[in-house]
Amino acid sequence: MTVAGLLQHEAFSPVCLPDGEREICGVYIGDLLSWVMGRASAGNAWITIMSNINIVAVASLADTACILLAEGVTLSEEIVATANAKGINILASTLSAYELAVCLSRLL
Amino acid sequence: MKELSLNILDITENSVKAGATLTEILLDETETTVCIVIRDNGCGMTEDILRSVTDPFYTTRTTRKVGMGLPLFKMEAEQTGGYVTVESKAASEFPEEHGTTVTALFYKSHLDYTPLGDLTATVTTLIQGHPDVDFLFEHRRTDGPTVSLDTRELRAVLEDVPLDSFDVICWIEGALREQYGNRSP
Repeated sequence: MTVAGLLQHEAFSPVCLPDGEREICGVYIGDLLSWVMGRASAGNAWITIMSNINIVAVASLADTACILLAEGVTLSEEIVATANAKGINILASTLSAYELAVCLSRLL
Repeated sequence: MKELSLNILDITENSVKAGATLTEILLDETETTVCIVIRDNGCGMTEDILRSVTDPFYTTRTTRKVGMGLPLFKMEAEQTGGYVTVESKAASEFPEEHGTTVTALFYKSHLDYTPLGDLTATVTTLIQGHPDVDFLFEHRRTDGPTVSLDTRELRAVLEDVPLDSFDVICWIEGALREQYGNRSP
């Protein structure tokens, strides 16, 4: 499934989709950014509650397919602009990380 | 990172890469805070570069576009209500007195405070990896006497024995663990 394809599901809302046709391959969940940086795999949908600019850098380094912000976390306009400029897809959801993972296990 | 000692290791590596002959790692703890200062006499940075060092898309490495050492350190400090500041004097502008100082303040009572971790391992690793440059380590604590190590003093005593020789590294590790009050396992 592509990142844009996730938007068919009501749980997800778009934050920015500079590369919406990116295929999702697996899921990673984590908030300790140095840990995620070394462990998330390329193509993963990465679920986090962190909202610092550093998530864009970590997603770029780990080459994840998208960031999924859980539990209604929102980002500043500046971070969204950087994500767009760096080609990082971000979707948001009010679901918890666990609920998102369950949802993704059905969808992917 | 899971321990602040790993951040300290990462940032001190920047100092060594900047050509520092002396890097000071100073920790000052109170009941509620820990202040970490990493000060070097390396080549320093111009104001332009200085402004971008906490930007995660800036790096001194050429292999990738983003550098995460200082951005993560800053984020971890801010998560506790603290801060990170970076001051620097570039050798090109200040040939006599150049270098970089990173200062961080953490509030220990905050739930998101990252523990200091194994500072002995960090200091030992730094000396082992860079035996030809000097480090001054000082940790003022609330729960015990100040822990300190100055490689310049060791060098004066050891004369020609390199700091990364096995016996010296073992001694350094033991001396630090003893000062912290826990013997190496």
